[in-house]
Amino acid sequence: MPRLVNVKKSVMAADEEHASFIRSMMKQKGVLMINMIGSPGSGKTTLLEKLLPKLNLRCAVIEGDVATSRDAERIAVTGTPVVQINTQGGCHLEANLVRKALRDIPIDDIDVLFVENVGNLVCPAEFDLGETFKMAISSVPEGDDKPLKYPSLFHQARAVLLTKVDVLPYIKFDRSAFWRDVQKLNPGADKFELAVIEGKGLDDLIGAIEDWLKDIRGN
Amino acid sequence: MHEMSIVEALMEQIIEMSQDEDWEAVTRIRLKVGAMRQIVPDILKFCFNVASKGTIMENALLEIDEIPLLIKCDECGYLWSDREFLGMCPKCSSINVNLLNGMELELTNLEVEMKHAKTC
Repeated sequence: MPRLVNVKKSVMAADEEHASFIRSMMKQKGVLMINMIGSPGSGKTTLLEKLLPKLNLRCAVIEGDVATSRDAERIAVTGTPVVQINTQGGCHLEANLVRKALRDIPIDDIDVLFVENVGNLVCPAEFDLGETFKMAISSVPEGDDKPLKYPSLFHQARAVLLTKVDVLPYIKFDRSAFWRDVQKLNPGADKFELAVIEGKGLDDLIGAIEDWLKDIRGN
Repeated sequence: MHEMSIVEALMEQIIEMSQDEDWEAVTRIRLKVGAMRQIVPDILKFCFNVASKGTIMENALLEIDEIPLLIKCDECGYLWSDREFLGMCPKCSSINVNLLNGMELELTNLEVEMKHAKTC
């Protein structure tokens, strides 16, 4: 006779423990941790390259990629402490990997930790890293249909960034349809339009990061 | 394609549970998977069949209960189920809505064969 064993436990229970460890650590240290999620080529690393030198806060970066340390090398040029995670084929970061990487982050001396997830709109949205919130990054050349096609990410993200708006004149992209769909999925999201090469939209984002940091520190 | 990571986590959890038990084999595994988790059941089963070879749960039947979305408006109390998640109440347009069902990813229960029939 087979025996029935009741479990009723999350499949990801082990990783969720790492995520809650990280979340309480960030809370205790007063660090704003942003999990940046977007397609390959959406401009996540370029955004950080332009943002970090202008941000008057102490930052660190964890870079998640399938292979290479190219992104970490680009961030290191800005003088920001950076740790590269290679997932060796994995399509997303998991909390256990981030927890290991945190050993090399000067957590007591930073205000903001950016985690650049593996370029992918699907899988990274499903794994809690213990972040303060998720940030969705979508670029104009990807098309205006991304929010409805990848609802999980756009629903969860506290902030949605539309990047590369400088190419709008050359590409068929319905800007109001994009934002209308974001609004449907996530009416409370903070919304930003950026063209970071020209520096457009960076000041708004910097102001928001300062506000989010004040929020979590309760002042 | 995060199904393989989920299968790995599932198998680790079951193998850990089996350490102190007298299980001959795990024959059935039942999961709850919410519609918002972006999991393709057939891919999950395929990954499981590949990864479980040579383990205590080789040949186990993986049963997936798919849980549809259920959303509740906290303003007017309206409950609805949609194919796609929308963050606004279709009745009163409030954005104060909550996803009640759809984010599940739960190992509900297992069926196991015991090594020795118990003699009382």
